[in-house]
Amino acid sequence: MTERVAALEMRGIDKSFAGNKVLDGVDITAHTGEVLALVGENGAGKSTLMKILSGVHYPDAGEIFIGGEKVRFSNPADALSAGVAMIYQELSLSPHLTVAENIFLGREPVRLSALGVIDDRELNRLAEELLKEYGFNINPRTRLVRLSAADRQLVEITRAIVEARKVIVMDEPTSSLTSGEVEELFRLIRDLKARGLAVIYISHRLEELDEIADRLSILRDGRAVYSGVWGELSTDQMIRHMAGRELKEIFPPRKAVIGEVRLRVDNLSLPPKFEHISFDVRAGEVVGIAGLAGAGRTELVEAIYGAHAAHSGEIQIDNQKVTQSSANQSVRRGVGLLTEDRKRTGLCLNLPMSTNITLANVGALIKGGRLQGKTEIEVTRNYIGKLNIKPPSPHKMVARLSGGNQQKSLLARWLFAGSKIFLLDEPTRGVDVAARSEIYREVNELAETGAAIVMVSSDLPELLGMADRILVMRRGHMVAEFDARKTSQEEILKYAALEEN
Amino acid sequence: MPDWVKRFLPFISLIALCALIPLGEYFFLGQDPKFLTAGNLAAIARQTAVITIMAMGMTMVMVSGGIDLSVGSIVGLAGVVGAMSMTAGLPVLAGILIFIAVGAACGLLNGMAVTALKIPPFIVTLGAMGIYRGLGLYISDGNAVVGLPSGAGYLAEKTVFGLFPLPLFIVIAFALIVHFVLSSTKLGRYCYAMGSNIEAARYAGIRVSTFQIVYYAILGGLSGLAGAIETSRTVTGQPNAGEGYELNVIAAVVIGGGSLSGGQGTVVGTIIGSLIMGVLANGGNLLQISPFIQKIVIGAVIVLAVTFDEFQRRRMETSES
Repeated sequence: MTERVAALEMRGIDKSFAGNKVLDGVDITAHTGEVLALVGENGAGKSTLMKILSGVHYPDAGEIFIGGEKVRFSNPADALSAGVAMIYQELSLSPHLTVAENIFLGREPVRLSALGVIDDRELNRLAEELLKEYGFNINPRTRLVRLSAADRQLVEITRAIVEARKVIVMDEPTSSLTSGEVEELFRLIRDLKARGLAVIYISHRLEELDEIADRLSILRDGRAVYSGVWGELSTDQMIRHMAGRELKEIFPPRKAVIGEVRLRVDNLSLPPKFEHISFDVRAGEVVGIAGLAGAGRTELVEAIYGAHAAHSGEIQIDNQKVTQSSANQSVRRGVGLLTEDRKRTGLCLNLPMSTNITLANVGALIKGGRLQGKTEIEVTRNYIGKLNIKPPSPHKMVARLSGGNQQKSLLARWLFAGSKIFLLDEPTRGVDVAARSEIYREVNELAETGAAIVMVSSDLPELLGMADRILVMRRGHMVAEFDARKTSQEEILKYAALEEN
Repeated sequence: MPDWVKRFLPFISLIALCALIPLGEYFFLGQDPKFLTAGNLAAIARQTAVITIMAMGMTMVMVSGGIDLSVGSIVGLAGVVGAMSMTAGLPVLAGILIFIAVGAACGLLNGMAVTALKIPPFIVTLGAMGIYRGLGLYISDGNAVVGLPSGAGYLAEKTVFGLFPLPLFIVIAFALIVHFVLSSTKLGRYCYAMGSNIEAARYAGIRVSTFQIVYYAILGGLSGLAGAIETSRTVTGQPNAGEGYELNVIAAVVIGGGSLSGGQGTVVGTIIGSLIMGVLANGGNLLQISPFIQKIVIGAVIVLAVTFDEFQRRRMETSES
């Protein structure tokens, strides 16, 4: 192999936060005109590494070279001027500015340059040209708040592409895109490669990477454990590198006895989110709900839970008709909802793990008019042991836990609340492989003890591995039902995405 | 700075002030320090009692993620109505209950408006501040209510063991109660949960609106009680009483480590915050510092306290991911 200058080289990067070593001597290299796939479990250090590359954090040790030249970024502006741009996982746009204003934020074309008057017409014209060139059908004059999540992501991508001259980092760029838009993005990425940019692409979706990655770097516990050409490793090998051990049984077997109907949903509607939804879930059963983003799955489980009122239809719990008008009533009836967005609707981030776990059943801790702190800690320790929550410290602020341990804490909340019907909405989103398998084990145990479980997931292998039956939603309608043992990803996708193809 | 210094910074500042003021008196003014005399300390307690009582309620409201700018106006309105009820012949004790009831009613209205209108509490209570003040001025026709029964001064003037002012005991009693509520009851636990993430609290099955209303009503009731003490001090019902108190009350909570964005704050912190402001004002007078300069100092202290807090919080956040 001839020695050529890499577009980006990060060498021996160390970073600690409050004595915690997050990155330990990490080396990665990205070449011009290539896509480097960066994978690893949550907490492996990918985001920190990319924040160092984009100048948000400063490394404790190590060097960064752009095009062979050593650089030092002390803030994001430095990184940008060196030609490194980043598409963030959490959107970083200004919601009240227009699409064009966002794309050119900080680099607006000006008239009368001494006065800095923004040339709006030119701004919109440039933005319109760019969006057209990339094939995004978005009006540059629209304010961001009026765009869908997917369109916002496309704007974010456009902005980063405008800024990038040498390296572009994409951190889970497809999380809110439809399959059509993902194709569009891939076309763009190939375009960027042809223009000589190095692309660093972070994703959990291995099948996605298969389509565009040229090279692969795997991080685990803050170290780069593998670097090589994409395709050298099989999926199993990759997972082994990420998890650091064999994971033969990601989906443990379940010996649940299917019993009586516990939850029945009859003709439930909340137009335009979902309409005429009917299904039932039996004791011991796990029913999966598949569908694309925006199919109405989250709205459906939230309506069953009572977080939002449904417009019409009926819900029965243990053959009793209920009107779930509030979360409060649902919790009393033994229904628990593990929400899709744990930071927004699940966790009290700056409160301790113990408070978060006991929140839905604080009453059980009150004895003699006083909240029993000791009991609370005992209860928490019990769930820490049961679900293997790390670190095992009940007083730890949940914000400091990894995604998987946060999710386990929320699951523990419903266990402590004594729930019998579990609505799990994307239960393993942003959860690493090891924690996933522990969550699955707990779900199985719940089913075995007679709980009824609804599992909404965009991860089809997960649904196939966990569910007894899989329901498919498309644009607010239930379009298919499969026995999980007799279906395939392709079949489910066909129904979930029919109109798009 | 070591961790314990950071944690107890408000308390350490308070102790430092209490040490510096007498030194200042001795060296700059060349006189025997008056600051630490029993009489002066009792005066501080008396002066800060009203603010501290209200700040107990404000701690709850602010921990739950709310704020109430109308508390000063409630002091005025409750004072006028309570004083009128006493001049109309109601016994003093029943009159005191009227003060509290008027305050609680105002707080209840605030809470209901915040939850029903779904408008930020800052705006709702900014409006309420004008409404309650206007109401107090209107029913008293802008004049002080005079001719209160002789026993009306009891609440403010009574001393226990001939030394400790009664308001000090009221403060201690309510501090213990609110501390218990915040640390050991559902009401308090939900307060922190809602302030930390109100949506998460709702999804966990907490009836957030009901609880919010309760917090505002408690704050209103305590403001009414503060109005009773104010009225007792002047033995008149002043429609302008409590003007500007809302800012001192909020400042006490904030200096004591309470957060404007909710989820943080303790009774002990708030008391220290209130004492820091009281001691600064008292010490400033003893050291013959212009009251105008005192205002500047107190303003700077508020900004410094919040800056320090914010800085701490950010450090904790960046040490996460």
